[in-house]
Amino acid sequence: MGYPVFALGDKWEPTDANAVGLWLVKTQTVGSAVSSVSVTSAFSSNYDNYRVVYDGGTSSTDAAFTVQLGSTATGYHYSIVYQQYNAATPLGVGATNTTSWPNAGRQSTVRNSLVLDIFAPYLSTYSGIRYAGVDYAATSGFIITGGGMLNNTTSYTDLKINAGSGTISGGTVRVYGYRN
Amino acid sequence: MARPNIQIDDLVREMTDEEYAALLESGWTPEPIESEPTGDE
Repeated sequence: MGYPVFALGDKWEPTDANAVGLWLVKTQTVGSAVSSVSVTSAFSSNYDNYRVVYDGGTSSTDAAFTVQLGSTATGYHYSIVYQQYNAATPLGVGATNTTSWPNAGRQSTVRNSLVLDIFAPYLSTYSGIRYAGVDYAATSGFIITGGGMLNNTTSYTDLKINAGSGTISGGTVRVYGYRN
Repeated sequence: MARPNIQIDDLVREMTDEEYAALLESGWTPEPIESEPTGDE
């Protein structure tokens, strides 16, 4: 017996391993009072698409993360929908050719949160992103969901998470590859 | 204010003057100006 149900003593076959959908590619602990965290060698030819999770640590202030690929600071298109916990109406904002993907997650003095799906960052084609984050800033917090694309066909290996304001400390950024 | 730190993988260091100038140019502030999501940050 093997994939998808295993029992004690079952042999782990290559076909079983190759059926695993998500692999942890890189783990990066966030340091103290940093305004940005660059995770190098996050993307490679091993995977077309990735999930990035950062839920932990704290921020010196409540704000929003921005995300960049490599050192690129232009060509980001995005659109987001957001709503505060204590608001009745969702709102939205979008822009083209910006310096980053903004509002990609939430910084908080309570806990930071960022979840990204990044599409084709290593491939020589347009990169895409979907993102979200949970705001732990109690009743005034936001839930943001958004996405966008980067308007170039550059191949990227690195991810950069920026604090929109203030600095962040602690927690762990985890990069997972979706198996091709 | 003192320049914030920057982190590249496990290396955490203080920003250079040039990096800090670029950070300020990006719209970063020590404290948020607006509490709601706005445009390019």
